[in-house]
Amino acid sequence: MFQRNPLYTNPEPCQHLSDYKHKHGFSGYKAIQKLLVTSPIGKISLKKPNLRIPRCSFCNGCEKKRIFLCLICSSFSCFDHTLLHPKAEIGHTLFIDIERAELFCGLCCDQIYDPDFDQVVMAKHSMVLPQGAIGNESIGQRLIKRRRLVSGVGLYLNSKSKFSFPIKDLRGKSCFPEGLRGLNNLGSTCFMNSVLQALLHAPPFRDYFLSGGHSLEDCKRRTIDRLCLICDINAVFSAMYSGDRNPYSPARFLYSWWQHSANLASYEQQDAHEFFISMLNTIHEKEGITRNGSKGNGGDCQCIAHRVFYGLLRSDVTCMACGFISTTYDPFLDISLNLDINIALTEKGKKVTKSNEDDSKSTLLGCLDLFTRPEKLGSDQKLYCQKCKERQNSLKQMSITKLPPVLTLHVKRFEHSFVKKLSRKIDRYLQFPFSLDMTPYLSSSILRARYGNRIFNFGGNESDTFSKFEIFAVVTHSGTLESGHYVSFVRLRKQWYRCDDAWITEVDEATVRASQCYMIFYAQKTLFNNASEDLSHLPTSPGREVFIPIAGCC
Amino acid sequence: MSVPNEENLSSQSQLPSHFFWDLLDSIIVDVASESHRVAKLGLDANLEEDDEELKLSAQARVRVADPSNNSNEANGKYVVDIFGQTHPTVANEIFECMNCGRSIAAGRFAPHLEKCMGKGRKARLKVTRSSSGAQNQNRYSRGGSVSTHTNHSSNNSSVNRLANGNAGFEEHSNGTTHP
Repeated sequence: MFQRNPLYTNPEPCQHLSDYKHKHGFSGYKAIQKLLVTSPIGKISLKKPNLRIPRCSFCNGCEKKRIFLCLICSSFSCFDHTLLHPKAEIGHTLFIDIERAELFCGLCCDQIYDPDFDQVVMAKHSMVLPQGAIGNESIGQRLIKRRRLVSGVGLYLNSKSKFSFPIKDLRGKSCFPEGLRGLNNLGSTCFMNSVLQALLHAPPFRDYFLSGGHSLEDCKRRTIDRLCLICDINAVFSAMYSGDRNPYSPARFLYSWWQHSANLASYEQQDAHEFFISMLNTIHEKEGITRNGSKGNGGDCQCIAHRVFYGLLRSDVTCMACGFISTTYDPFLDISLNLDINIALTEKGKKVTKSNEDDSKSTLLGCLDLFTRPEKLGSDQKLYCQKCKERQNSLKQMSITKLPPVLTLHVKRFEHSFVKKLSRKIDRYLQFPFSLDMTPYLSSSILRARYGNRIFNFGGNESDTFSKFEIFAVVTHSGTLESGHYVSFVRLRKQWYRCDDAWITEVDEATVRASQCYMIFYAQKTLFNNASEDLSHLPTSPGREVFIPIAGCC
Repeated sequence: MSVPNEENLSSQSQLPSHFFWDLLDSIIVDVASESHRVAKLGLDANLEEDDEELKLSAQARVRVADPSNNSNEANGKYVVDIFGQTHPTVANEIFECMNCGRSIAAGRFAPHLEKCMGKGRKARLKVTRSSSGAQNQNRYSRGGSVSTHTNHSSNNSSVNRLANGNAGFEEHSNGTTHP
């Protein structure tokens, strides 16, 4: 039996509500349901059948703003008379704010909430929308989904490794955390170094490689093509976690990556995010084939890139004319966010940033709000509605259906000026939290908010353990679009370290919080138990050689 | 139908103002009603934590901006790292290039590899200049794909891209197509 949605506190009914329900049951609600009218964007209100403007029955003042309907005698009253009504007529305690379809208790003088009433309201929405539009999945389906979500996390330690017993861990001798090691800059490669540092310390990604998830001997690609990017990533992990503290040169890895990504193979300053995508895409393309037999799609692929980084985005497009919602799902490797700066249009139509830079602060949550906000598609972007059979003005809204174990957020720090035909970097400070709760951005939450946060099962029944994240790495950039420098911060055993190519230094939290973030890496809180922090739980694998006979490690 | 007379005119001129305040009141109640519901149902449970994060970040910025707090960074470069090591601006570890076998210093490995593998702008340009080249193919084709179409996805100011640098190099890439 599933628990109620843990995100809600089910409100305690007031005595008057309890009495009303005891006496009248749902008959009043059902009668009200017939008068409810929905709108395409999820609003609901009560309309009189003859469409006459409701007036207060007692003072006839329709200019009074808020009109209520008595659940007992169906009279309309303004706010003042709503408070007087229960005193005049005993038992007439409950009302509905007709503009918002919200319950009001005339004796408590407050808006009240009843799950059963919300069910009635949502049932009305469901009558209008096609079946299944509002998360009414059967329990059987929910069970399957739940299992699938859980299986993505933390199984690497069990299945792959040939060694089932942990070997005495000699790495722990050093007082510094394992894997902490500088990376030599091979010539404008700090874009690569900064991302590598983050990935080296992404718990599930790290655990996979350190426990022998990719075996060098068994690697078919390496024996056939003599080229396997994942083997080379494995080599980087081995070197970085070998206990050696002098900086490592990821030359072999660079060589390997360039062979896989021809278009990015050049000696020049590049973008860290582009590298991140390129690297994970390459892992997927190579690994995905050998594992799944064919190029797996986002949902079913079991390559390490997918298991660790891939989530699922949902896009809802609502037709403003008929309310029909078209939903599509897309896998994502990371989320690119626009900065939540206010951009105002001047009279001449040019875009100008609001000058009150001091007042409005940019925050990561603000960017996520912006990302999931309903967006009116302009009249030049009318989309085809299946129900209306023509192009209509539409509303688009994004939300996250499945969160990956490692959530990567990319901040789009650039803006274009179409007038001047140039782009520039936005150096504006972006506040970001160390603990991130992604619940409000889940599809179930977005859906719920769209329908007024009614008490109803919107399909989001994973407990919030999978929505809570903790930061572990930040990639920062300083400089301009054309020329700059990347530096990473990683958090190991609750201490932050600055990774500036070969230079590793300790920094305090404040330095990280105040930095100019470009890519932020969060991992699910459940992955940060004590065991995963000190790595002694990981068996050492045969593939993880301490000294590698290739360029870059001496 | 009433004929406009003095009384009607004055009340008519008040109508737009009247409607505006009506609409505004309605919007205000909308927001109040929604916030009330969110609060009563406990949907804003994270409010305190969010505020705490904001506070910590604000404090952090103040601390970092204070020059008396910055230690051990001389012009952004450090004297020693946490392992007690110092490093030159250009990494001087020497190893063998896995493409040609030559010994290369780490900090110059990328530019070397680019030419060695026949990748990058300069290699592509050299090919396109004398586009007749079967002999050019032989010269540059080691491991790299020599193609006359130029894919400048990483070259152009690629408006979505933040380029990086190496603190030691003066190289300015981007846009310049000539070696």
